[in-house]
Amino acid sequence: MSRLDIRTIEKSFGDVRVLKGVDLTVESGEFFTLLGPSGCGKTTLLRIIAGFQRQDAGEIVVDGDRIDARPAHKRDIGMVFQDYAVFPHLTVAENIAFGLRARRMGDADVRARVDEGLRMVRLEGLGQRLPSELSGGQQQRVGLARAMAIRPKLLLMDEPLSNLDAKLRVDLREDIRDIQKRLGITTIYVTHDQEEALAISDRICVMDRGVVEQVGTPFEVYRAPRRRFAAAFVGTMNFVAADSDGGRVRIGPLTLPVAAPARDGFQLAIRPENVVVGAPTDGDARGAIRLEGAVRKITFLGREAHYTLSTPVGEIVAQVADPTRELLDVEGRTIAIALPYDKVVLFTAEGDATPFGAAT
Amino acid sequence: MKGAGGALSRAFGGGTARRGFDPWILVLVGAWAIVALLLIWPLWSVLMASFRDNDTGALSLTNYIDVFTLRSYRRAIGNTLLAGLGGMAGALVLGVTLALVTTRFRIRGRVLIQILAVVALVSPPFIGAYAWIVLFGANGVVRQGLASVGIDIPTIYGATGVILVFAFKFFPHVFLITSGALGAVNRSVEEAAEGLGLSPLRRLFKVTFPLILPSITAAALLTFVLSIADFGTPRLIGRDFNVLATEAFMLFGTEMGGNPGMASALSMVLIGLSMALVLLQRRVTRRDVYAGNLMRKPFVREATGWRGVALHVVAYAIVLVGALPAITAVIFSFRRTSGPVFQPGVSLQSYERVISTVSTPVWNTLVYSSASVFAIVVAGTLIGYLVSRRPQPATAALDGMLMVPYVVPGIVMGIAIITRFNGPPLELTGTGLVIVMAVFIRRLPYSARSAAAALKQLSPSLEEAAISLGYSPARAFLRVTVPLIGPGILAGALMSLVTAMNELSSSLVLYVGSTVTMPVRIYLAVLDGEYGLASALSSILLVLTVAAVAGAFLLSGRKQSSLL
Repeated sequence: MSRLDIRTIEKSFGDVRVLKGVDLTVESGEFFTLLGPSGCGKTTLLRIIAGFQRQDAGEIVVDGDRIDARPAHKRDIGMVFQDYAVFPHLTVAENIAFGLRARRMGDADVRARVDEGLRMVRLEGLGQRLPSELSGGQQQRVGLARAMAIRPKLLLMDEPLSNLDAKLRVDLREDIRDIQKRLGITTIYVTHDQEEALAISDRICVMDRGVVEQVGTPFEVYRAPRRRFAAAFVGTMNFVAADSDGGRVRIGPLTLPVAAPARDGFQLAIRPENVVVGAPTDGDARGAIRLEGAVRKITFLGREAHYTLSTPVGEIVAQVADPTRELLDVEGRTIAIALPYDKVVLFTAEGDATPFGAAT
Repeated sequence: MKGAGGALSRAFGGGTARRGFDPWILVLVGAWAIVALLLIWPLWSVLMASFRDNDTGALSLTNYIDVFTLRSYRRAIGNTLLAGLGGMAGALVLGVTLALVTTRFRIRGRVLIQILAVVALVSPPFIGAYAWIVLFGANGVVRQGLASVGIDIPTIYGATGVILVFAFKFFPHVFLITSGALGAVNRSVEEAAEGLGLSPLRRLFKVTFPLILPSITAAALLTFVLSIADFGTPRLIGRDFNVLATEAFMLFGTEMGGNPGMASALSMVLIGLSMALVLLQRRVTRRDVYAGNLMRKPFVREATGWRGVALHVVAYAIVLVGALPAITAVIFSFRRTSGPVFQPGVSLQSYERVISTVSTPVWNTLVYSSASVFAIVVAGTLIGYLVSRRPQPATAALDGMLMVPYVVPGIVMGIAIITRFNGPPLELTGTGLVIVMAVFIRRLPYSARSAAAALKQLSPSLEEAAISLGYSPARAFLRVTVPLIGPGILAGALMSLVTAMNELSSSLVLYVGSTVTMPVRIYLAVLDGEYGLASALSSILLVLTVAAVAGAFLLSGRKQSSLL
């Protein structure tokens, strides 16, 4: 159980600044995810924590001790790799015991720890197999058991599921989550998959171009994005360009009874599942933006359907849960939609979320 | 090699605890020291010597002017090109034909064909020349046999003979390289071509050959460089067919009236020719990297009827003629001799002579080649690691420098080393060490390249995993990387042993009476007409070679093309 403090980490490769003063705190026992597109610096940050790369400036502190001066092998940090990195010349059991041997643990203890590890990742009975006899998912389980066996202060995982197919990915994801909760090891998890991040994390750190965009629980990041980048990267989001009309928000031909921010170039945003499709017969007209949209395309996905609509304010995607037969027949027609104010987020030109509501 | 060994122990002794310090820096420094001492310095000396007038010692272009104006040198340049291009063309025709026949048709005894090809490949280089003399020389067995039934064929001596020998000696390189490529051509591509209306023959030239062009040009380059660097063959059966390698050796070797400046200039021209071909090959193949992720293995046809017989005859004829020299040497080593003349009957007297009077070369060969291979493996593995895992300008430049020995013929390397270490500050002439040094620097690049290739197959995260589990970088390298690339390294070591044992050209420049090696002794025996002794020594060398090759194949799981 260890707390991790990352203080103003800077890192450049040549002229490219890949980390621009990153500050983060990870609480003891927390499952903390670094989420962002490739090139955002998440993997570099992870490798700096592990000690495989050195920061140009800043500190890595674990439980109050600065560890960034120590070489990687003295940091007591477990790591799970994207390509598994299971030693192909050693059996599964020898792989799990590998780190314990470096710690000169007695044979009996090693055996007990290996057995426990095999049980934990559900590979009982496969201890004497070679990695080449295992599937990708099983190999990654070995990688996980091996890293956990040394009971590290921190567990780092670098896109551990991205080489697996979809079904295995979900299974192993659940197992990783359960094991981490059981052992309570502080975990930093790197991924570019936002769904994975939402499913597995206590908190998510959304990164872009070497900068932390938002840190929050999965609910906060999804439902209350504080930055435009986080809103766009996590889940799907409709963005509508807006400007100011005498202090009021104007979108397309509509001027809304809502106060506009001082600077132009702001946007309104709403998630597809919050767009109300069909003509609402009741409700306060002032509580929602009402639009007409031509249905260009309907994609039926079983439990939901996606509508791509051309509206006077631009293209809007709406999601309808459990669509009825009639609603699937409207392709090419014009229908009414509503964007409820309480689901709309306003992002300033700088990308910050600000409160949106009826002007008083 | 000493530098790298020292760097290794220092790297492993400590330093990892220090922050931000990479112990591989020491290996890098050691590697550059080796390259400077054994490659740059000696070759620089030759380059300088080539600009020095032999009589006055002044800097001048006389030697180069002579090279390009005197008739005998111009002839040597022409002959070298002729031998190089001829040997290359012959080897390509034989090698590609054999590769096509064996990869596209079900040929009986494919394993036997591969073994014979490898025997031809690893036979001591000048056994070929000598065995051809025994068979087709002035008093050659085959020639006399044919003469007795009234058929008169010309002797093997001269340009034709040299080119023929090169073609049959070097075709296995082409065969092994292009077989691999032909086996990797996507069948669907060829079928698509036939579906578009190309006849099989046109498809071969329009689709298949262009697809394997990178392999063909690489094999062509290799056989050209090997042909123009070869010294034994033109020396033994060229007669008045002088090439640059033989001229340089004669000019350098003659104690009195030797002309080191001229020999150096000829050496430089020889290097220049190889370099020109390397650059040409790069131009041809630069854009030709075809990768397909969908792969269907090529179709292997049944070879039946007359066509089947013909294909078998072609395949077996090529490999049998290629292996003929080795077979001949073994047979002749058991023949009774009286002085230099063979007598009817079987005898072990040639071997008795080896054991009683000429055992020194055998021991020298074993000692020198093991020593050089040990050094090659240690240095080659470390350098291979640097090149593949520490990409930076200094390692890239090191990798580039290690290309140089590929284009420096053995004779030239020998001349360079003796020029440099013949006197102060480092006088090593006449020691076994110079012979080891020459073999070491000539073969180091192969070992470094194969180690780098093996490491490229290995994910860097394996070592990082070990480090994160508490192993220092040096221990992670020893516990994870070395066991994983170990079999590959050992297989490479055995192949280096083969080339080290068979090294003739550089040793010939560097040996003295007490440091004579088997290839040198065989060469001298052939020159003296002691064919019985030459056969016995050749057979011993062949057995050692085949044993090493067999070991290498066992270790590498029969992936021959990756070894040779």
